[in-house]
Amino acid sequence: MWAKASAGIVPGFFLSAALIGLLCWLPSGPWQSNMMPGITAFFPLWIGVFCTAFRFNSARLAWGWLGALAIAATGLLWSLQLAGWVR
Amino acid sequence: MKLKPTTLRIFTSLHSWVGLVAGLALFVAFYAGSLTVFHQAIGQWATPPAASTAANTLGDAQQLLDTVLASHPEARDHLGMTFPGYEMAPPSAYWQDSHGTWLFATPTHPEGSPTPPQAALPELINELHYTLGIPRIGTWLMGLVSLLYGVALVSGVVIHLPRLAKDLFALRPGRNLKRFWQDAHNVIGVLSLPFHIVFAVTGALLCLTFVLMMALGPLAFEGKLLGASATAMDTAPVISKADIDKPLQPIARWHARSIEVAHAQGINDFQPGYLKLSHAGDAHAVIEITGTSARGLGAGSIALDATSGAVLATQLPGNRDANHATLAATYALHFGDYGNAIVQWLYFLLGMGGAFLFYSGNLLWIESRRKRRQAEQGRAQVVMARITVGVCIGVCVAVSATFVASQLLPWLAPHTSMANAEHWACFIGWLLCVLWACLRAPIRAARELLWLAAMLTLMIPLSHGLATGLWFWRSMATGQTSLALIDLGALALATGFAALARATARRARKNQPNTVWATTVRVH
Repeated sequence: MWAKASAGIVPGFFLSAALIGLLCWLPSGPWQSNMMPGITAFFPLWIGVFCTAFRFNSARLAWGWLGALAIAATGLLWSLQLAGWVR
Repeated sequence: MKLKPTTLRIFTSLHSWVGLVAGLALFVAFYAGSLTVFHQAIGQWATPPAASTAANTLGDAQQLLDTVLASHPEARDHLGMTFPGYEMAPPSAYWQDSHGTWLFATPTHPEGSPTPPQAALPELINELHYTLGIPRIGTWLMGLVSLLYGVALVSGVVIHLPRLAKDLFALRPGRNLKRFWQDAHNVIGVLSLPFHIVFAVTGALLCLTFVLMMALGPLAFEGKLLGASATAMDTAPVISKADIDKPLQPIARWHARSIEVAHAQGINDFQPGYLKLSHAGDAHAVIEITGTSARGLGAGSIALDATSGAVLATQLPGNRDANHATLAATYALHFGDYGNAIVQWLYFLLGMGGAFLFYSGNLLWIESRRKRRQAEQGRAQVVMARITVGVCIGVCVAVSATFVASQLLPWLAPHTSMANAEHWACFIGWLLCVLWACLRAPIRAARELLWLAAMLTLMIPLSHGLATGLWFWRSMATGQTSLALIDLGALALATGFAALARATARRARKNQPNTVWATTVRVH
């Protein structure tokens, strides 16, 4: 239980942060113009991800999946930002 | 809908855990929060009648502004002001001195003082609502509680999902008391779910926005998030001083201009509430006026050049950018200050329903761990029963005691600081209730504290009448309906507490031995 919860808290947080980043940066126009909707969406998203962590069959799987998704989403966001494809 | 038994089991224990950790704090937040819906009326109720007939015109506001700007150079950088009739009848001004301390001034006390001019009572209840009265870390703690509350909502819905439609209108009174409480818990939870989702999200946001921005900035916004927040949250553009002297326009002009600008955008009932003035006396002086309109969700604001009245920017209902629309909706949905009185009463009732949800949740946790075949009960359940009674009923006692103190203290001890005295009445009262619940059998403590709550709540209209002569029938007759409604609301609450006390006494008389609610508790 605690191990799955920690998966929801730690990699779950980074995954939610990256998804919110994508949500703010991907639409056309500067990210500044939709930062508050993004910030508002963060907590419900994180709560959803946290609860999803309990649906994995084991804590190891929860950490693995959420961790991999977090790295992938953060990587995508950072490379888009570095390449200047989003602003 | 079918769910795997393991999923159901996991979410049941998740719901119990987050409920146990956050339930008590949420009870306090909802009880105090329901009252905070009426903070303006409570402020009026707690202000002596003589004080509220003070200076309250735009001319008085002008005089106040001139005096403050002349005698406090630091107020020229940034100054806030409320218009007459916003929160209280006279206008008020506030600014930070050179040490960063906020100072407040009113037409009767233009010299500035660190004590806010509003009555201390509504502010204390609001503090109880968003910090539990814990200084500094209380806000973050309540932010965390809001997140756990969100998890409790999701897990609660998941557990209840298979029977959601079937059980929605089932409320089964009868011999099985646990069934009845469970039904009540479920039906209130499901029917007020949208309200609770709103509060889990906005509550977390109001407490943790700054912390969240610090964390999200480097992760997803190239470290530029905090720097962008001023533009996203304020209406007035950030302008630096010109270092050229130029006089300000009069307040009445700004007031009229803001109404005119709102009118041009189709808002015919814009009511200016407060203003933010920066660089007063400089050619780049900027004023931002925030106000409300009956049909708009949340406040709107208008930024003007304070020396010429030229419009710099507007964020009015119907014409806001995404950032301001989100912010305005967040505030409005949390504070319930849109629409009319029906919305406020709905918030009050749903808030009280929420408090019941958390109280009944704790009772259900205790009941489902009851050992029916032996007198000895688990230590955890007994402790939980004591804490639930002490904290939940205790906070009702403490809040009522504070209301009574706010009326009687100026009368009994005219020279004490009200904010301090009320603070002590509230927190010492609460602590004593918790101690009492630790010493007595839980059922006896519950009965006694409920009677105490009923008596103190009954004293709210009595003390108000005795101290000010404004008995509720007189306030009613003179058109001060909100004052009368507080007194009448207190009477209704007192009746409710008395009814609960009698129900508790009935249960105690039956004295079932194998429960934590037996008159003599035995711990395993």
